[in-house]
Amino acid sequence: MSEVLELADTGAVNVAKPAPSFLFRLGGVLVALSLVLMVMGPWITPYDPNRPTFEISEPPPALTEIPGLLWKVITGAPHDPIHWFGTDSSGLDVFSRVVAAPRTDVAIAVGANVVSLILGSLLGLLAGFARPWVAGTVMRISDLIQAFPVFITGMILVTLAGRSNMTIVLTLAFLYTPIYVRLTRAEVLSQRNRGFVDAARVLGKPEGFIALRHVLPNALAPSLIQASVTIGFAILMTAGLSFVGAGVRPPTPEWGLMIAASANELIQGEWWSSLFPGLAISLTVFGYAAFGNGVERIYDR
Amino acid sequence: MLNFIARRLVVAMFQLVGLVIVVFFAIRMLPADPVARLVGMNSTPEAYRMSQQALGLDKPVLEQLRNYIVGVAKGDFGRSWVSGAPVMEDIRNVLPVTIELITISFILAFLVSVPLGMLCALRPGGVADTATFTYSLFAGSQPEFWWGLLFIYIFFAMLGWAPPPLGRLDPMSTPPASVTGLITVDSLLAGNIAAFRDGAHHLMLPVATKVFVLSGPIIKMVRQNMVRVLGADYVLYARASGLPPWRVALIALKNALVPALTLLGVLYGYILGGAVLIETVFSLGGIGQYAVRSVLAFDYPAIQAVVLVIAAISLFVYLALDVIHAWIDPRLAS
Amino acid sequence: MTDSAPVLDVRGLTVDYGGRPAVEDFALTIAPGEIVGLTGDSGSGKSTLAFALLGLTRGPGRIKGGSVVLEGTDLLALDEPSRRERRGRDIGLIVQNPRGALSPLHRVGQQIGAAYRSHQAVTGAQAAAHAVDMLRSLGLNDPERRASAYPHEISGGMAQRVLIAMALGSGPRLLVADEPTSGLDVTIQAQFLDEMWRTVRKVGSSALLMTQDLGIIANYCDRVVVLQNGRQVEDAPTRSFYAAPRDSYSRSILALRKEEALADATPSRLLEIEGLRKIFPLRGSNKHVQAVDDVSFSIGRGETVGLVGESGSGKTTVGRCILRLVEPDAGEITFGGASVTSASPAALRRLRRKLQVVFQDPFDSLDPRWTVTDILAEAIDGKSDKARIAELLRLVGLRPDVADAKPRALSAGSQQRVNIARAIAVEPELIVLDEPTSALTPLARIAIIRLLRDIQARLGVSYLFISHDLNTVEHMSHRVAVMYLGQIVELGTREQVFRSPVHPYSKALLGAHLVADPSRRRVDRTDIQTLSGEIPSPIDLPRGCYLASRCPVALPLCRDQPQPLVPAPDGRLVRCTPAIASLKQVMH
Repeated sequence: MSEVLELADTGAVNVAKPAPSFLFRLGGVLVALSLVLMVMGPWITPYDPNRPTFEISEPPPALTEIPGLLWKVITGAPHDPIHWFGTDSSGLDVFSRVVAAPRTDVAIAVGANVVSLILGSLLGLLAGFARPWVAGTVMRISDLIQAFPVFITGMILVTLAGRSNMTIVLTLAFLYTPIYVRLTRAEVLSQRNRGFVDAARVLGKPEGFIALRHVLPNALAPSLIQASVTIGFAILMTAGLSFVGAGVRPPTPEWGLMIAASANELIQGEWWSSLFPGLAISLTVFGYAAFGNGVERIYDR
Repeated sequence: MLNFIARRLVVAMFQLVGLVIVVFFAIRMLPADPVARLVGMNSTPEAYRMSQQALGLDKPVLEQLRNYIVGVAKGDFGRSWVSGAPVMEDIRNVLPVTIELITISFILAFLVSVPLGMLCALRPGGVADTATFTYSLFAGSQPEFWWGLLFIYIFFAMLGWAPPPLGRLDPMSTPPASVTGLITVDSLLAGNIAAFRDGAHHLMLPVATKVFVLSGPIIKMVRQNMVRVLGADYVLYARASGLPPWRVALIALKNALVPALTLLGVLYGYILGGAVLIETVFSLGGIGQYAVRSVLAFDYPAIQAVVLVIAAISLFVYLALDVIHAWIDPRLAS
Repeated sequence: MTDSAPVLDVRGLTVDYGGRPAVEDFALTIAPGEIVGLTGDSGSGKSTLAFALLGLTRGPGRIKGGSVVLEGTDLLALDEPSRRERRGRDIGLIVQNPRGALSPLHRVGQQIGAAYRSHQAVTGAQAAAHAVDMLRSLGLNDPERRASAYPHEISGGMAQRVLIAMALGSGPRLLVADEPTSGLDVTIQAQFLDEMWRTVRKVGSSALLMTQDLGIIANYCDRVVVLQNGRQVEDAPTRSFYAAPRDSYSRSILALRKEEALADATPSRLLEIEGLRKIFPLRGSNKHVQAVDDVSFSIGRGETVGLVGESGSGKTTVGRCILRLVEPDAGEITFGGASVTSASPAALRRLRRKLQVVFQDPFDSLDPRWTVTDILAEAIDGKSDKARIAELLRLVGLRPDVADAKPRALSAGSQQRVNIARAIAVEPELIVLDEPTSALTPLARIAIIRLLRDIQARLGVSYLFISHDLNTVEHMSHRVAVMYLGQIVELGTREQVFRSPVHPYSKALLGAHLVADPSRRRVDRTDIQTLSGEIPSPIDLPRGCYLASRCPVALPLCRDQPQPLVPAPDGRLVRCTPAIASLKQVMH
């Protein structure tokens, strides 16, 4: 008898975790940077992002000058005003505005996703667990929202509701909630018939307890993975809306607005006031996408 | 099958009606005041009331809705408060521009991305695969309006290869007779090679930007599907049965591309409304740019019509793709 | 057979999988016409070996060394095109999960034809005709219609026949079969293995049959090879293997063949079921599935009643009705005198402490995000009573360090022990065991059966043991009920049902049961009563006896009149008028 028990493994086994890939780490760094700037950005700008300086349309320092300038800054030696990213046609320091913008761009994106994730997963739980007519109604409304053309609806809602940061957050939350509803519901439907759910019923646990303590935590994973990617999309959308004039109001520092304001000067050769905000968007959204991809890979193991 | 199509059409109709009603109410319930925008902030109360009457906004909302629906049933979608022309006429002018841009971009993006995605799947984890995957992740997360501007700066301002971003054709030239509204098609139909080249020249940068951004998700999706299929049991078993490599490849291809179909339709429908930014940057004058103008001007009839048209096209594309998918994949027919 | 050169001669075969060796230094010879059985636990490397014999590996696998000499040529030394030529033509393969091995977008006849055309120069039409012929020779009626079906439209048994048609189409000298009948019903399994055996013998080819089921090996194979952790640990003729296994692993998997006495049960009636009925409506039509029809039996204190049957028998639904995870449509269930079917929510919650369950899939039954302590604490009402949890773990034979582990870190056998611990934590009087060992390896299965008997002896708990595996039912049950299409067709003591079944279905079921004893091989017996055809769909049930269309002793009255469950002279219940009549005749 003991021989049989020995051969049948009765202990715990170590499960190894895979090593994170380079993309995941790079994404993590960029995401962390964006969040840090979101919180601290406006405090660390060398110039006031909204006050014009005396230097108009000044290009950024040449690459060869940078080490010298850095040295002067570090040693505290006196120097002319340095604009690392140059200034735009109104004299505003581009670097300060680029660094101050996440307070708007990233905060809106994160805020909208937090709202839509919470709302979407609760509604998805409802749609997967509740009676058919309740579930049906939730899904029909969710489908209806998804049938709207995303960007145009965003424009409509934001412009007509007054173009404040709050309306942008609410609009994006409204447009993104169906994504989370769909993801959560699909997961809830597959979790709902699992053995541990029936086992909890047989133990006498009430349905509500089972839904919240057993089903929902197991159904959240796809939504959490999706969140990183959707935050990236929200940043793109905020910038895009602001670019066409249907988003954030000037003079708030916002990457899309900065590009729109300097678009005409681009052809005349003033490339820095459009390049750096665009680069910021490019790297930040890429960071969120890479990070989300990395999280997905870890979850799939 | 016909049953399936009929049912889906009915659902789509309901969705469209629902959409129009929702948009109708939503824009009237939001705090924006189109009347004030038209007559200005310092207008007299009489001027305000006259303008309000002219726009039909003095009546109760439900009555407005009834009038609107009655009009739509007769084919009258109202007149734009900006151009004064019937909205549908405006849209008939601008929609083909967007369709041309989107369709050409889509086809090119496909031709480039599908082979790339499939090649990557043959050696997953290899150097080429990691590089291409990183590229696809990058491309799919880019702000296209910024890239459009960059392309203009590089290829027009610096290199002079592209024309100035002022529209679809050289402002000096005469456009070909409008049959479909698509410059490329119309100029070919008219035999006007010069116009064709001009149109294509102007489309070069917008299409390149669109293809760049689209290639990201398409490569990613094709690669993912292909990797899944290549690792599937039935591919291994086909090899174990001694099937020649080309037969195995055909089996794998069919299984990989079929589920990709619906996703593609979703993408197409999505970017119809997403062409706004590219059109704005390159001043192409498509429905996206028209939408921007209408929204910023609080032009309600135009806004309603734009949403309706784009949603209708998207729903139609989804339906067509679902039908094709159900036709090809026997698992969906049962 | 004049040539004595082996069909297959494998030496030193080593295959890596993801960096670790899956098969190490494997050697095997198979003579012409020989059927060799290969057995081993999951993780022993059987599947990897099966594909490696064709020179193929799955994903991260790599063949590191060795030779696979098939009819004189080393497959591993050839170039890929030459290897491909031989696959399917000289060596055929059938695998577990046959539907997964078929492309979902192509018709099965087309796939059989494609395999045929890869080795024979024939046109498309000829290949299609060949596919139909192969299906007909494998016992399928209406083969033209079957050939035009898609994989998701056919049953597992049919799909496996499709694979055989693909593998044997060009008459290979060697057939490799990797767990070909896992997931198939008992009677279908017997049917399929009989056909495979007949076809192989008729053509004169050899076969390598890989399976965990020792019954299959005893009944069909001439030799036995045991694989453990990728290494071969035994190679012996079947009879000597079963009589005296040399390796300790082999000995332990053969351990559960001896009869063991069961604990005594009291004659009281703890659970009573009367006239239970359950119908499931079908979405999108007004047809319905008759899952359970007029089921009545009782379970005493400390007693185990086994419920056996194949797919569609309704045995799982009976269990779920007792637990009220599903609401019965008619009938009465009483437990300890109190009604279960008409209990109020409060009464039901109290009853639930006395009625517990263990399901088939051990991992699926545990919340993957909770630790073992959380899971057991939930059962003992939320209090994290460390002492009680430690005692429960000890009772089910788990080490104390398991308490902080999450389900993913445990083996399937250990996970099932946690499920059992949770079930006994509330001190129930009856546990419904729904296929508790079907998802486990033979070794783990034996351990869990021993554990369940041990718990019954110590705690006096009753069991309803639902299973399709007759071996385990025989070892666990005092009494046995045989179910077919929602009805109980025979109910008697273990000895009555297993030694001398009376109902034609019970006879066929027990006849199809492959006993792990090479002296009583199925292929040698001539008295086997088989049922023709397949199990009918539970949607359109016939008027009279449900078995009538397949039954070898059916009378005209069987087709017209529904058969009642009636006591036989020896005390058991049987639902078959002709069977009872002949029993009475014998008695007189």
